[in-house]
Amino acid sequence: MADDGSNGETGVPVAIRTVTWIVLGVALMGILGLFAIRCELGPEAARAYPSRTLAAEPEPVLLPPPPIDEDYFPCMDCHAGEVPNRTRRELEDDHDDLELAHGDLWCHDCHTAGDYDRLHRADDTAVGFDESWRLCTQCHGKKLADWRAGVHGKRTGYWWGAKEYRSCVECHDPHSPAWKPIEAKRPPKRPAEIRLGSDVRLEEVPHEAE
Amino acid sequence: MGATAQFWHFVKGSALIVSRGSRGYFTWMLLLAAVIGAGGLAYANQASNGLITSNMRDQLSWGFYIGNFAFLVGVAAAAVMVVIPAYVYHWGPIRDVVLLGEMMAVAAIIMCILFVTVDVGRPERIWHMVPVLGTPNFPYSLLIWDILVLNAYFALNYFIVTYLVYMSYRGRKYNAVFVLPIIFLSIPVAISIHTVTAFLFMGLKSRPFWNTAILAPRFISSAFVSGPSLMVLIFLVLRRVRPIEISDQAIRKLGELLAYTMVTNLFFLGCEVFREFYSQTSDVIHAEFQWFGLRNGHGIAGYTWFALVCNVSALVIFVMPELRNRIPVLAVACVLAFAGVYIEKGLGLLLPGMTPDAMGEVYRYDPSLNEVLIGAGVWGVGALCFTLMAKVATAISAGEFRYREG
Amino acid sequence: MKRNDAEDRLDARGASRRKFLRGAAAGTAALAGAPGAAQAFDFETFFQKHFREMSDEEIDDLNARLARKYEKKYGKPFSLDATGPLDGVVFGYGLDISRCIGCRRCVYACVEENNQSRDPEIHWIRVLEFEREQAFRSINLEEGNPYYDHETVPAEGKLYLPISCQHCEDSPCTNVCPTGATWKEPDGIVVIDYDWCIGCRYCIAACPYGARHFNWGQPSIPKDEVNTDLHLLGNRPRPKGVVEKCSFCIQRVRKGRYPACVEACPVGARKFGNLLDPNSEIRYLLKNKRTFVLKAELGTRPKFFYFYG
Repeated sequence: MADDGSNGETGVPVAIRTVTWIVLGVALMGILGLFAIRCELGPEAARAYPSRTLAAEPEPVLLPPPPIDEDYFPCMDCHAGEVPNRTRRELEDDHDDLELAHGDLWCHDCHTAGDYDRLHRADDTAVGFDESWRLCTQCHGKKLADWRAGVHGKRTGYWWGAKEYRSCVECHDPHSPAWKPIEAKRPPKRPAEIRLGSDVRLEEVPHEAE
Repeated sequence: MGATAQFWHFVKGSALIVSRGSRGYFTWMLLLAAVIGAGGLAYANQASNGLITSNMRDQLSWGFYIGNFAFLVGVAAAAVMVVIPAYVYHWGPIRDVVLLGEMMAVAAIIMCILFVTVDVGRPERIWHMVPVLGTPNFPYSLLIWDILVLNAYFALNYFIVTYLVYMSYRGRKYNAVFVLPIIFLSIPVAISIHTVTAFLFMGLKSRPFWNTAILAPRFISSAFVSGPSLMVLIFLVLRRVRPIEISDQAIRKLGELLAYTMVTNLFFLGCEVFREFYSQTSDVIHAEFQWFGLRNGHGIAGYTWFALVCNVSALVIFVMPELRNRIPVLAVACVLAFAGVYIEKGLGLLLPGMTPDAMGEVYRYDPSLNEVLIGAGVWGVGALCFTLMAKVATAISAGEFRYREG
Repeated sequence: MKRNDAEDRLDARGASRRKFLRGAAAGTAALAGAPGAAQAFDFETFFQKHFREMSDEEIDDLNARLARKYEKKYGKPFSLDATGPLDGVVFGYGLDISRCIGCRRCVYACVEENNQSRDPEIHWIRVLEFEREQAFRSINLEEGNPYYDHETVPAEGKLYLPISCQHCEDSPCTNVCPTGATWKEPDGIVVIDYDWCIGCRYCIAACPYGARHFNWGQPSIPKDEVNTDLHLLGNRPRPKGVVEKCSFCIQRVRKGRYPACVEACPVGARKFGNLLDPNSEIRYLLKNKRTFVLKAELGTRPKFFYFYG
């Protein structure tokens, strides 16, 4: 670079260099100082909120199970006076619309023969239909703890307050408890479909990956 | 006459200078007016209907505007490539052009600020970022740092340009102790404007394509390619249309500097490409999109390779003195280099960074017509600012516009 | 009604051309100061302070003013407040991916509860569908598909991962916001002051979870579907050009209620509670279930925990 016109060195007089450093320093401090005046709002600084608490948490509320179809309940209306047939079989005359797919269980494992208006546990303890969950927890004990804690099953209401939880039969058909697929709600619009005017729904969206 | 009155004469005289000119000048101004007008209408449409008039969506929330912004920040910073030889090394030939280089920086910074302004969803709320009036998130947000250094660089360069031009108009030598510190201050500020802009992208851990330490050095090296290239082209045009002396020596020196900066630029690119394709972490998908496209087609791969071809061709010319010392060949190389960096640092930086997006979705983005019109309008504004400044400055240096007593 | 996409495209282009011309005219007129040509410029909102700097009276005034504005627009009474956080509460969220069936009821419950724009469409929750076989080895987000469209769900062999704002303890979005318009409240909810946001979308670039959404156009909510129980930092109708995202249903949870998505989920896959309460269900599942967070390597420390129930 020194082939013409330059002296090969930075011939900047000391006076100018000193002034430069002073100007630089003052400018930096001035600007930072300016920002320091009004920069208390960091990403976590909040308003000075007043203290707030909610009242003490009441016990969670177990919602009553849904009512049983009037055609079927009370059971003894049809079953009164009959001699129960305890043979394991597939039912052909009545209750054949029920799909039974619950492990190795069949009717009399839960329903009390001769007294169909109540259920029973494995040790023959009587359980009403309003507390049918007591049957499920015989085998599904781990679920019981989760369900009580609120981690299994749907919870509505208040996270601090009247938490509502549900009896097993509200979501699980006790005769075939495996979850059945339900209708899916429609997918979101792709970005290319969001347009000025109104959103369009393109049959074939160009340039989109699947 | 008092100092204010003298300065007012200068302003009036400048207005007179820019209102007269050759046929070519008026054709150019008319073209700029048309471009700016179209951009203005397009912006009115965007202001009224929202940014939905662009093709940006949640999956790609920064696009054409921010790409241009990143590119122009580099062009602005490149004024430093002429300031250092002129004022630090006192190299004579470059002195012809240092003022024009700083004017280019001013025009580029104006364009940067405009590109950010047209990109925000609520431009009337920009005052929220100003200290005392608003609540700038300093020091956490890099956008605030960027606003700070951009405005500082603009203020410094605009002051330098106005002062030097006015002194030249008055026929007086500039007061070195007064202005040289400010000129020297503009050098680190120039480096800081695109370091901070690079940090803006680099700091985002959600975008692994950008979250790389080499992004800041790449910004600097590509700035020092795009800026001087544009300067060479502008000088070649200016010395043809204006009575100004710009020596071949100054232009050739810029060409020589471009050799070094283009080598560095391509070296850094090579480093990036090696890291991506050799290490092959899951984040390589962004580089794959950039160079080859993904499942849904070639995407921007064509542009990426084209930019590489431009840059390498430009490098060949810059590196060989027999080629770069021939001014027409140098001009071609500068066009190639400018185009190459524009692609690489504009949409070539933004699109791979956000494709696929944070949740793995690929959205194919092309700027909408509205975005392109607004972008062209902003470039028009920058060109207009530069034209006006250069017209006055060249009139002064040619002796047409001088201060007269009484 | 199936239209061919050429028609759709033409229609869209025609619509946008008309909108362009109308918009350019309106915008130019507004810029030229023609009265009544465009929406009247809202000076009160323009000079409004940042939420964190307003006094209680100013916030009450603001709430009253906004409630009046919405009442005029939607024709029903609104209740709008800015309920503060509860003491000793930091909210956490749990999502049971062994149970999510991808029905999207949470998505639409959220849309209704939180007054999200229907057109242009905004969803705060996005459900990604993965191939179960692949997902068991590693969740590769590029393989996730948010646009699945089945008659019934769950589809055979698929795994569903709903994603919304993770309310990170160390959120990148609050760091990068230039105006401080988004911040983390003492109860852990990351909120946005919609009247302070300038719409720069730096936070959208910074979010690793794609959880933030921008109002690209003027949001629209049907009058009969608008939710009138509002919180200033949560589900109040947003203006054009600002960012929005899940607020943990701040209008509900600060009064002790579950978020709308928790209540909507038919399989009970969503859990919510106070992380500081050792007896809450969220603490139970953190203690007893296998949990993970998304993109843990980024160090954002989300408060949204995915678990296998």
